[in-house]
Amino acid sequence: VVLSSVIGRLAAGADARVFAVAGSGASEAVRDLRLADGLRLVDTPRAADVLLVAGGIPPALAEPLARVHDALAHPRATVFWMPGVPPPDLVAALSAPTIVTDDDGIVPAVRRAHRELMTGERVSEPPVLPDEDAVPWRGVGPYGQGGSGMTGGTPYGRPMAELGADRDGLRLDVLPLSVGPFFPRFPSGLVLDLKMAGDVVVEAVARDNPFAEEARRPTPGLQPFLRALSQPVAIAELEVARARHHLRWLADALLAHQLGSLGVRVLRLATTLTPDDAEAVERLARTLTFTQVLRWSTGGVGRLSPDLLAGLGAGPVARASGLAEDARMDDASYGALGFEPIALVEGDTATRWRLRLAEAIQSLDLARRAGDLRTEQVGRVEGPRGTLEPGSSPTERLMAIVPRSIEGLEWGDAVAVLTSLDLSLDEAAAARVPAAARGVA
Amino acid sequence: VRPYAPIEIAVPVVAATLIAGVYLVAVIDRVVAALVAGRSVSWSSALLGPVRSAAFLLVQQRMVTERSDAPGWTLAPALFAGLAAVALALVPLDSGRVAADPATGFVVFSAAIAMVMIAVYLHGWSPNSPFALHGAYRYSAQALSFQIPFLLAMLATAIPAESLSIVDIVEAQESVWNVVRTPLGLPLYLVVGVGVSFWGPLNLPEGADLADGGSLEDSGVARLSWTVARYAMLVAVAAMGAAGFLGGWWGPWLPGAAWVIVKTLVLLVVLIASGHLLARVRIESFVVFAWVILIPLALFNVFLSGAFLL
Repeated sequence: VVLSSVIGRLAAGADARVFAVAGSGASEAVRDLRLADGLRLVDTPRAADVLLVAGGIPPALAEPLARVHDALAHPRATVFWMPGVPPPDLVAALSAPTIVTDDDGIVPAVRRAHRELMTGERVSEPPVLPDEDAVPWRGVGPYGQGGSGMTGGTPYGRPMAELGADRDGLRLDVLPLSVGPFFPRFPSGLVLDLKMAGDVVVEAVARDNPFAEEARRPTPGLQPFLRALSQPVAIAELEVARARHHLRWLADALLAHQLGSLGVRVLRLATTLTPDDAEAVERLARTLTFTQVLRWSTGGVGRLSPDLLAGLGAGPVARASGLAEDARMDDASYGALGFEPIALVEGDTATRWRLRLAEAIQSLDLARRAGDLRTEQVGRVEGPRGTLEPGSSPTERLMAIVPRSIEGLEWGDAVAVLTSLDLSLDEAAAARVPAAARGVA
Repeated sequence: VRPYAPIEIAVPVVAATLIAGVYLVAVIDRVVAALVAGRSVSWSSALLGPVRSAAFLLVQQRMVTERSDAPGWTLAPALFAGLAAVALALVPLDSGRVAADPATGFVVFSAAIAMVMIAVYLHGWSPNSPFALHGAYRYSAQALSFQIPFLLAMLATAIPAESLSIVDIVEAQESVWNVVRTPLGLPLYLVVGVGVSFWGPLNLPEGADLADGGSLEDSGVARLSWTVARYAMLVAVAAMGAAGFLGGWWGPWLPGAAWVIVKTLVLLVVLIASGHLLARVRIESFVVFAWVILIPLALFNVFLSGAFLL
C-alpha cells in the first residue's frame, strides 16, 4: 500500500501523456501544446492517459473519436477544449467530463486530470463502445478462425492480403489498410483507404472531408487571410502570418522526420516571430542542413510535375515545382513593394521545404518594408497554402492529386510527401462556408 | 583457462550496470532533448524525470489487443534485455575484471546482436496490429543489411589482437587504440550501433511515420520493459564500442574502470545526440547504402587492420 502510494505520487509528477484530437479550428492550439511544460503529446492513444478533444468535432468523427477514447489504457480521462463550439457526443457518454472553454485553461486542466488519475482521486473512464470485435470472426469458418478458403474471410479479425501487381511487375500480396482520421502524421480528419504491398502504397483513396458541414472556425493563423478576402488588410500583418504559418508547418514536418526537439525550437520561434527575425530563420535553415533532413530524408522524394499542379493555385507546392503562380502578383500594393514570387524547379519534397523557408524569409522582408501598406485586391488572396477564394481552398484542390502523389511510394516517403503538401481539411471547409456565415468581421 | 567471475557476483554486477546505464541513457536523452529544443534544463526534472516516467508506466494498465500473442508480447522485452546483458557481460570493466571472457567473446557478442532481430520481430508481430508488424519487418530489412558491416567492423579489432577474446582485444590496444589504428572502424561501428538499437536516424521500426510502429500497442509495463530493454542495448553497444575501439581500460591518471565508464559515456552521448540532431533516413536508401558502401568500406577497414600486422 505504501509502495503503491509512493509510485502514484511519483507518477503524478510525471508529464501528462496526452493524445490530442484536433477538431475544427484547433490544429494550431494543439500543436502549440508542445511548448507547454508538464505535458507530452504522444503518437498513440496506448501511451496516453489524457485524451484531449479540441475544437469542433463533426458527427462524422464521433465514432472514430469514441474508438480512440476506448483505446487509451486505464487510468484515463478526457479533457474537452470547446471554445464556443458545441461539445461532441462523447461528452454525454462520460460521467464526469472536464470541459474547458478558454485557451489558458487547457494545460492546467490536463495536468490536473493527470495528477488526479495517478493519485487515484479520479476514477478511470469506462469504455463508451461495447466490447466487441471490429469484424466478427470468432467461430466463423472451418476452424473457427474467421477465414474461409485460402485467402477469404477475416482470420483473427484482420483482413487477408489479396493478390495485386507490384511495381516490379510481379503479383504479390496486397493488404487493405485504412489510416486516419486521427493518425498523428496526417492532417486531422483525413482518412486514406490504402492498399499496401509490403512497405509500398499501391493504391490510395481519400474519404470525404468530415469537416465539410462543420467548420465555421478557421484557425487563428488563417484569419488574416480570410479577412483579406473581403477587405483590405495590412500587408505586414499578412506576411508575418504567412512566415509564422510556414514555421509552424516546419515544426510539424520536423516531428515527422524524428526531429521533434528541434521542432519545439522552431515552434517557439514561430509563436514569437517578428519582421526582424529574418536572421533567426536563416540560422534555422543552416541547422537544417546539418540534420540532413533535406538530403537523405526528403531529397528526390515525391517529385510533382508542373503539369499536375498547373492551375490548382497550390501555392508553395506549385512554386516548388517551377510554377510562378501567386495571387500576390495581381495585387498593386505587392507590385509597389517589388514583389516577385520565388519559384524553384525540382518539385521534390526537399524543394517544398526549401521553398517555404525561403518564403518565410521573403515574407519577413516584405513585412518590414510594407509599413502601413494594405492589400488592394479582394476576393482572391494568396494564403500560406495557396490561393484562397470564397468557396475554394488550396487543400480542397490539392486533395485531387493526393492519391497520385503517394501511390508507388514507400510508407515513410508517402508520409513525407503528405506532410510537405501542408493540407488542412478544416481550412478547406472553412473557406467553403461564405464569409457572412463564418461570422468574420 | 580463462577467468570467469563467479556467477553470484557476475549476475548482480551486470544487472546493476545495466540498470544504472538505462537510467543514465534516460537522463542524457532528456538533457540533450532540452538543449536542442532550447528549453532550460532543470536538474531535478532531468534526474527525477526517468523515475517518474517509469512510475507512470507502472500505474498504467497493460492493454491487450484482439487475438494478440500474449507469450510473445511478454517474452520479447525479456529476450531483448537478456541479449543486452549477454553483450554487456563480455565488456571488461578493468584489466582482469570481466563477468565473462570466453575465447570466442567476439562471436558471442555478434550472436547476441544477430538475435536482436528475433526479439524485435516477435515484439512487433505479437500485438496483431498492422503498423506494429510493419515496424517488425522494417527491422528485419535493416538488420539483414547492417549485420555484415557490423561483423566486419568488429573483426578489424580482432586482427591486431590475434584473438577473438574481448579482453585480448582491449589488451592489444595498450600502445595504439583501434580508433587510431583503423580509423574507419569506430564510425562504421557507430552507424551500425544506431541501427542495432534502432535509435535516431535508424529508428525506422518505431518511427514517427508509423506512430511508434513496433511499440504502437504497448502500454503500462509492456512499454516500460521494452523501453528499458532498448536503452540497455544502447548501453551495451556503447560499452563494447569503448572496449573495441577506444582502448577500454587504457588511459593515464585515472583507474581503468573510470576510463571504461568515461569512454562509454562519451559514446552514449554521441549515440543519443544522433537521435535529436539527425533526421530519419529512408529505409530503401539505407539498405542500398549498407550493401554498396558500408560493406566495401568495412572490408577495406579489415585489410587496413591486417596491413598493420605485416
